[in-house]
Amino acid sequence: MKPILEIKDLHVHFYTYAGVVKAIAGVSFTVYEGETFALVGETGCGKSVTSRAITRLIESPGRIVKGSVIYHTKDGRKIDLLKLPEAELRAIRGKEIAYIFQDPTAALDPLYTSGYQVAEAMVVHRTVRSWKDGIKRAIEILRSVLIPDPEKRVKAYPHELSGGMKQRVVIGTSLSNRPRVLIADEPTTALDVTIQAQILKLIESLKRRHNATVMLITHNMGVVAEIADRVAVMYAGKIVEIGNVFQIFKNPQHPYTKGLLKAVPNPLIKVEKLESIPGTVPNLINPPPGCRFHPRCPFVMDVCRVEEPPMVEVEPGHQVACWLYTKR
Amino acid sequence: MAELKKFLIRRMLTFIPTVIGVTLITFMIAYVIPADPARAWAGGEKASQKAIELIRQRYHMDEPWYAQYWFLVTSLAKGELIDPRTHNPVMYDIMKRFPVTIELALFSFVFILIIGIPLGIISAIKKDSIIDTFVRFFALTGVSTPVFWLGYLLIYVFFVMFRVINIVGKPPDPAVVITGIPIIDALLIGDFKTVNQHVARYWLPGFVLGFMGAGVLARFVRNSFLEALSSDYIEFLKAKGVPKLRLWRHALKNALVPIVTVLGLQFGGLLSGTPITETVFSLPGMGRYAIQSIQNIDFPAIVAVTFLFAIIYVTANLIVDILYAIIDPRVRY
Ligand SMILES: Nc1ncnc2c1ncn2[C@@H]1O[C@H](COP(=O)(O)OP(=O)(O)OP(=O)(O)O)[C@@H](O)[C@H]1O
Ligand SMILES: [Mg+2]
Repeated sequence: MKPILEIKDLHVHFYTYAGVVKAIAGVSFTVYEGETFALVGETGCGKSVTSRAITRLIESPGRIVKGSVIYHTKDGRKIDLLKLPEAELRAIRGKEIAYIFQDPTAALDPLYTSGYQVAEAMVVHRTVRSWKDGIKRAIEILRSVLIPDPEKRVKAYPHELSGGMKQRVVIGTSLSNRPRVLIADEPTTALDVTIQAQILKLIESLKRRHNATVMLITHNMGVVAEIADRVAVMYAGKIVEIGNVFQIFKNPQHPYTKGLLKAVPNPLIKVEKLESIPGTVPNLINPPPGCRFHPRCPFVMDVCRVEEPPMVEVEPGHQVACWLYTKR
Repeated sequence: MAELKKFLIRRMLTFIPTVIGVTLITFMIAYVIPADPARAWAGGEKASQKAIELIRQRYHMDEPWYAQYWFLVTSLAKGELIDPRTHNPVMYDIMKRFPVTIELALFSFVFILIIGIPLGIISAIKKDSIIDTFVRFFALTGVSTPVFWLGYLLIYVFFVMFRVINIVGKPPDPAVVITGIPIIDALLIGDFKTVNQHVARYWLPGFVLGFMGAGVLARFVRNSFLEALSSDYIEFLKAKGVPKLRLWRHALKNALVPIVTVLGLQFGGLLSGTPITETVFSLPGMGRYAIQSIQNIDFPAIVAVTFLFAIIYVTANLIVDILYAIIDPRVRY
């Protein structure tokens, strides 16, 4: 497996009036070419911030304070996206690494037609010769994301489209330049259940057709089980466990992962009773010392309260950050 | 297009109650002030009883207030209302002065636009920089500077010290009347000599009148622009790899809806600033005429001026509504 994105020791802070929010504190993981990589975790754990930091889409008051994101280009070069000049990074955003955002209603500019916004992505990257070609391509793209009557829909404004339709336009926009990496940040959360399934299927099939790498962010474990190859579990700004989908679902190690799998219907293992994890996500201005999960952990030991657990490999490709698995 | 026409007709109909309301309120205020207008019009203390009687009769002053109001409004609409002071039809007096006021308002509006919009955009882009602080200061100075003070100060600078402006009279009108607003007509027929004369006469009063609005607009543009820049679609545009200038264009277009609203209100606000500006710069416009009418309790003229100001105001708002629909596809007639 060839890596395409290597995130190393990423730290993102938000400088708010209440204090410095240490939203991402030392996140590292690798995404391999062609896979579907899922990033899961409770709300507020830092999934969106991590995904946006990859191409430096962090807005003030946020700042990437440390880390690197190594991107492996098609011709085999390795570049650190966090050190790249803005203009070169812009050439990668939307062309090689594209995003689908959480809320399709808000992602489209209300004052421009859907066709314009799809074409715009190609025009700014010069993947079409002119606006006219861009609009023509936009019609094909809208057809490929299964929008009925695309000749008419290119001229429609966002408010004239349904939520599912808007998300298709967003997906079409993101895929218009055939990106190598597609980062989908909860692409279906804002949509109703039947549309959710369609959108996920669409992303899957487009991924296969273009041979893209997908990074999927979600808190829906059912979705993860269905389409992911590998999974990273995040908790309070850190990755607590990484493994392939079978390892995570069949053999979860971290108490948080186990809790997360119990909290949702697990499609791979039948669970008798759904329980939620007791306690709440910690305040990230003054995160708990040691392991950030220790206040909620049923297996908490003395060491957990004072020292951060290192990442250890429990089986090939399956890593966990928990003192339960570290020989001392 | 048919939609637009229907919308326009509907909106025009709402003009009627607005204009009636405004003139009625003005009339009532003039009506309740404890003075005897008939005596004032007849010549004050020395007026003969006969002259006073005649005036009372002519302006229906012995009748109840609603009959007086009705008389004023209907004869005004027919153009028959005679001004007791000048003995001209009121509308004739006003129409002579109307172009001056409109031209003054247009000049200051241009100043508001060319100062306010770029300053607002710059201070948004350079948020919390020195320029931003300067604009904040400028807006504050603008709203707290009295028009007459700034007016006299600049007259001192440009007239007394440098002699680069002219502050008497009215520049000549162009040979052809198309819109009735001299500088626009002069531009239309390409009479640049007249255009120059008008610019020379009006730029300073226009600047003084627009000074306040420019700072306010700059702050408003800044805030609307910043708000638009923090929207989710801007983030998505960034994720698409769109360059900065194009991002700003998207944000600015979205910010335009609130900006246009404020511009409409500001144009109305300019009208209320014209009396002082015209007095300071001795421009023979409607504002100065209004002040003179008030001094003489000349309420046919006061009601007529209010009537015209109300029409300008509602027209400005109508234009704002049409602009909304042009900018924002979500707005339907
Ligand atoms: N603009 C901001 N200002 C301050 N803190 C922020 C800001 N944006 C994010 N954060 C902090 O970063 C943390 C991670 O946020 P993020 O949006 O990545 O969560 P998430 O995992 O995507 O959650 P969700 O599932 O709800 O989308 C949050 O705890 C939040 O407090
Ligand atoms: Mg999120």
